[in-house]
Amino acid sequence: MSTDHNFSVVGKSLPRSDGRIKAVGAAQYADDIFLPGMLFGKLLRSPVAHARIKSIDTSAAEALPGVKCVITGQDIPKVKYGNWRLVPESQDEYALAIDKVRFIGDEVAAVAALDKDSAEEAIRLIKVEYEELPGAYSVEESLADNAPVIHDEYHQDIPNISLDRKIEYGDLDKAFAEADLVLDDVFTVHATSHAYMEPCSCVAEYDHDGRLTIWTSTQAPYFVQCLLASTLEMRENDIRVIKPFVGGGFGGKMEMRPWEFCAAFIARKLGRPVKFTLTREEELATGRRRHPMRIHSKVGFSKEGMLLAKEFNVHLDGGAYNSMGPTACFLCGNFGAMLYNYPNYRYYGAHVYTNKPPAGAMRGFGAPQALFVAETQMNVAAEKLGIDPVDIRLMNAMETGDEIPGVATISSCGFKESLIKVAEMTNWREKRKNLKPGQGLGLGCYSFISGGVFNWFNTRYNFTSAEVRAFDDGTVHLMTMASDIGQGCDTVLRQILAEELGLKVSDIRLTAADTAVTPQADLGTWGSRVTLMAGNAVRKAAQEIKEELFRMVSLKFDLNVIHDLRCGDGKIYPANRPDRAVPFGEAVRMAQRAKRGEPVIGYGSYTPRNKGLVTPAFSFGAQVAECEVDKETGAVEVKFMTTAHDCGTPINPMSVEGQLEGSVHMGLGYALSEQFIMKEGKTLTTTFLDYKIPCAEDMPPGISVHVDTYEPDGPFGAKEAGEGLVSPTAPAIADAVYAATGYRCMDLPLTPQKVLAGMNKI
Amino acid sequence: MSLPQFTFLAPTSLSEACALLEKHQGTIKIKAGGTDMIVRLSHRAVKPDYLMSIKKIPGLDTISYAPDTGLTIGALALLRAVETSPLILENAPMLARAAHATATVQIRNMGTVLGNVCNASPSADNIPTLVAMHAAIVASNGTTEREIPIDEFFLGPGRTSLQANEIAIAIKVPPLAPKSGVSYQKISPRSKVDIAAVNIGALLTLDENEQCQAVRISMGAVGPTPLRAKQAETYLTDRKISDETLAAAGRLAAEDASPISDVRASREYRKLMVEVLTTRALKEAYGFAKN
Repeated sequence: MSTDHNFSVVGKSLPRSDGRIKAVGAAQYADDIFLPGMLFGKLLRSPVAHARIKSIDTSAAEALPGVKCVITGQDIPKVKYGNWRLVPESQDEYALAIDKVRFIGDEVAAVAALDKDSAEEAIRLIKVEYEELPGAYSVEESLADNAPVIHDEYHQDIPNISLDRKIEYGDLDKAFAEADLVLDDVFTVHATSHAYMEPCSCVAEYDHDGRLTIWTSTQAPYFVQCLLASTLEMRENDIRVIKPFVGGGFGGKMEMRPWEFCAAFIARKLGRPVKFTLTREEELATGRRRHPMRIHSKVGFSKEGMLLAKEFNVHLDGGAYNSMGPTACFLCGNFGAMLYNYPNYRYYGAHVYTNKPPAGAMRGFGAPQALFVAETQMNVAAEKLGIDPVDIRLMNAMETGDEIPGVATISSCGFKESLIKVAEMTNWREKRKNLKPGQGLGLGCYSFISGGVFNWFNTRYNFTSAEVRAFDDGTVHLMTMASDIGQGCDTVLRQILAEELGLKVSDIRLTAADTAVTPQADLGTWGSRVTLMAGNAVRKAAQEIKEELFRMVSLKFDLNVIHDLRCGDGKIYPANRPDRAVPFGEAVRMAQRAKRGEPVIGYGSYTPRNKGLVTPAFSFGAQVAECEVDKETGAVEVKFMTTAHDCGTPINPMSVEGQLEGSVHMGLGYALSEQFIMKEGKTLTTTFLDYKIPCAEDMPPGISVHVDTYEPDGPFGAKEAGEGLVSPTAPAIADAVYAATGYRCMDLPLTPQKVLAGMNKI
Repeated sequence: MSLPQFTFLAPTSLSEACALLEKHQGTIKIKAGGTDMIVRLSHRAVKPDYLMSIKKIPGLDTISYAPDTGLTIGALALLRAVETSPLILENAPMLARAAHATATVQIRNMGTVLGNVCNASPSADNIPTLVAMHAAIVASNGTTEREIPIDEFFLGPGRTSLQANEIAIAIKVPPLAPKSGVSYQKISPRSKVDIAAVNIGALLTLDENEQCQAVRISMGAVGPTPLRAKQAETYLTDRKISDETLAAAGRLAAEDASPISDVRASREYRKLMVEVLTTRALKEAYGFAKN
């Protein structure tokens, strides 16, 4: 952490503000909510991958005792929705299928009953007649001639490409012609599950005033509010979305989803509260997932190892709907050329519909895929050019002040320091030369964004805002729509506010993520935006309070205008006369009295402006994986992970550490064992027995260090932590496996069987 | 997922339990720890009218050892108890290894070894070692007991040779002959806590000349029931143990395996793993037998 800045609360490993309530089991998640008269909902999902719905007979379900409501696509407003409101034609989902089903799991009908068993039983009694259509289950099948058209109303040049993106700068043809080494490879990367601990759940209630309240396990209450309003044909402000405690999201809970709509719709129809909670099997069989991609990457180097050009063609296997695919398609192009100076770059990304569960946002959001490719090719180039993989990266690495064409200037960058640090910590150069048989050492790096700039949701509000109310007992109340889904922003935002106002964390009451009482708006928890954006808003709100209190204190002390005032230790004092301190509460009392009783309230907001189109700040890091490969079974064991990363100022180092360990866990599963095994659109790995997420015992030991940087655009120098780091793990492990076996993986995951096949043993 | 409706029975004696089995034939299921049965119920993989817990029957959780008859592991002995029992660690440490390899500690604190056996899953962790070690299942119908050799116990996935009115009350493992060694080997896609994609149990007994006097090899998850690697056993018997003969035995075992391709592994990979793990198991068993 930075030693130049003398912080008293920021930079401290304070315990989570939600730690105790979770540890004692008292935290209420959506499924813990029980309201009087509440009904239990269940969704009927399509058993076929692509079909027209010919008829639905709900009579038997409706006749079942205990069943209070059955709805189908015929009962709901014909309003499509999707997060990309900026491009209305990209909104391609109905909450319940109206004309067609497009994947196994597509929601067809919903039931609400007095108990869960009756709801489940009723679902089994609904008869749906399907006219099955041929399906397309891969990018290749969807783009083939005469492929089935998945969305009939789309009229693009290529029917199943929902949208594409191009980036180009420099002169590629010239650069490739001058390159001494050109790598031209096709990679495939696979889908993985968010596997959040809490399956999706919500409870909706419609009051006698005609207003709707929904408690839902979401990362983005504001998105849910807006999209419920449009699909229910209600006014936004008549809908209140409350985020209770949430057990993880990782990108999988940042859209309005059919159960939220159905709970709200049925609650409004019946005037009774309705709860929907998904099962783990539903989550794994039908839930959002990381985008599988086919990536064709051509990259040119000079013989000295300088990057000259890159051509990056990406086809995203998007599944049946757009979901957050457009953003992944957009960002993948940026992640393809973010870490190094690519003087000449061309990107083409296409989002392809297939008859599979839709892929959505997931931790890293295009970066794990793009960087698996970019980092693997760096390692290949290093070997072919006879340069150490650390050195070839140092040669090309981004630095503070570098500009990414058309994106932004990097305002802080600790990439080179991270590289040097991991090389030192692992004794990289020596160790690589002295590997025993079966041992491997591999390197992967990353850069990531700290929140997005591009307003695809088309919000009319600031990206985030905060209100702070100060009280004369020395406490303050922070109100923000920022959503803690387990990542710890409730703690971090308190730390930022406490630091700014010179208070203790315990002096701060927090109300968060309730669209009816916290200030409009916050776009949600995704893209590593909360610490930087909401943190900046909180700081600005606090600065308003400070300014008001400083005026009062200045008046009282009869200070000369040039006197500096400080907040600290619960007091306000002249910088050179700390003995003349006024307690914070007393300053509030003075301010309130001077305004004849008006409360002291500060408001702050943040919207990135003049930051290009991608992000206000970039994080960086490097990671070394030490592995052992059993050459007879192909099993890869990761023995140790070493990480050096640049997240600016870690506001709470303990939280950052937790994020980093979680990233290694997710990266490990992505690299080695997690995958959806599918057959003609059907997910076969629908339990944790067969969906191989690493268990606690599979986690390797590791060490991580923060590289000391200060991000000028972040609150107290902070920027992204813990999302970018999901990216370097797979290329680092794959590189270590190459060192151990000679097998260069270009097709994740590295299952034992693939490793043996790569060694030509099977 | 919720459980379907059934009547829960909890008899307190073996005779009562067997009478209930007799009475509700075809519509009753037995549960010990319940770690498999409850999941199967909630998935509607089984739909019994009656679920009978045997947990209230006294005396079924014992683990005992006698030098002449060997180990007896009661039907209610927990996986965790077998994993940590000093008697087992001393007299049959591979049974403890197999129990340890089963699921997670939470499940091992509820599930039983005999439940894992009676569940008759082809990939069960505890079966291959027991097969290798000549175990026998003690079945009771409330009045008489019989011992079913483990080779005759498994009929197919989830199917055993227990009669409708019988309860498996214990498993017996005879003492090892002198100069014998046992091994349990397992591979799965996720390294540590996982269901086996292939597992192998082996028992090797040496004669005075350090040649193989007898060998039993059991292969899991490569057929509908645990399979014996008969060709490898025949080949190795009366043969000198060397890296070459053990490798050859591994190859022969792979020939005897009839795995399918599924989400856990392909047929080809499973066959190759039978070869690798059989050789490893024999090598380890040989190491124990020599000392």
